[in-house]
Amino acid sequence: MDTQSLTLALGDATHAGRTFDVMPVAGDEPVLQVVVSGAEETPVYVTVTDTQILCLAYLFDEQELNPERLNELHENMLRLSVPMPLSALGRTGDHYVVYGALSPTSGTTEIMQELVTLAENAIDLLQTFEDYLA
Amino acid sequence: MRTVLKKILTAMRGGVNELGEAVVDGQGNRILEQELRDAEQELKQAKQELAALMAESASLARQIRVEQDSASKREQDASKALAAGQEDLAREVAERIVGHERRAGELTQTRELLQQRISGLKERVQRAEKQLADYRRELQVVKTNERVLRTTAQIDTNINSNQSSLSTAKETLERIRDRQAREEDRQNASATLEKELTGADLDEKLKAAGIDSEQDAVNDVLARLKGNQAQ
Repeated sequence: MDTQSLTLALGDATHAGRTFDVMPVAGDEPVLQVVVSGAEETPVYVTVTDTQILCLAYLFDEQELNPERLNELHENMLRLSVPMPLSALGRTGDHYVVYGALSPTSGTTEIMQELVTLAENAIDLLQTFEDYLA
Repeated sequence: MRTVLKKILTAMRGGVNELGEAVVDGQGNRILEQELRDAEQELKQAKQELAALMAESASLARQIRVEQDSASKREQDASKALAAGQEDLAREVAERIVGHERRAGELTQTRELLQQRISGLKERVQRAEKQLADYRRELQVVKTNERVLRTTAQIDTNINSNQSSLSTAKETLERIRDRQAREEDRQNASATLEKELTGADLDEKLKAAGIDSEQDAVNDVLARLKGNQAQ
């Protein structure tokens, strides 16, 4: 599965009543921005490597957080990362992200399931951690 | 693997990972890729060697069997010659038997040495395979890390140029709340519409005004029954 075939596959597809709005992100890397209907606020970014399909959604940046409660937030993020369905919490650069990785042999159904779950998880996490914003 | 992970963490804490700057530099990556290719090459060679040695060992086993078969066959001949009183002939056959047995012994020794080399080589193949898996895992970590950094950098610059900036968490939360409120409104509206269509809303209003057609009907029936009794 590469980003091109994924774009084609997601274009007309529906999964659990959701549709997908796919847009390539310009640049050297093949990156897709996928907006899941009903969870439009948290777009999911998808990139495909030799070994995995990586999907991630941004939660917040470090500068947006209350510095005094950072440790508490990290602790809670670690705790929630385990039970969170299909997704894990992480950080890249200044961005706190929720992400999921799939095998490159995954089918469209698995990928759609991942995208929907990730977008919904991102919304739930944002609302859960709202108190930690500065 | 530990070294690679530590390198990545050190680089990240040092803030090297700004906008797509590779954490483990390209040079390190190339070294890792070279090591991977070397390990692959060694594995390939070791496997070829192993296959050749195993074929040789099988061929030796076959030759040993041939010598042993010949020896036992000649032993029967020698017994027959002895039984027939042909002592000289029996001696000649016995010399042949010695030859077969000696060759079988030599071949067996060669094959034992070969078996030792084979088991040594099998160990080497296993080590190389494990090493290869380690390198692949390391390379995967390094490459994924780079990909994530480049990808997020690309998203940031691209979304930055399209919109004023990536929306902040607060703005996103605001939009989520707006949508959730709209969805709730829509649900309420459709519930209202449903009531209107079925007339349930009017029934509710009438009931609230003390007008209950169901109750009236019951009262009517009761009144009729009472009237019947009175007659």
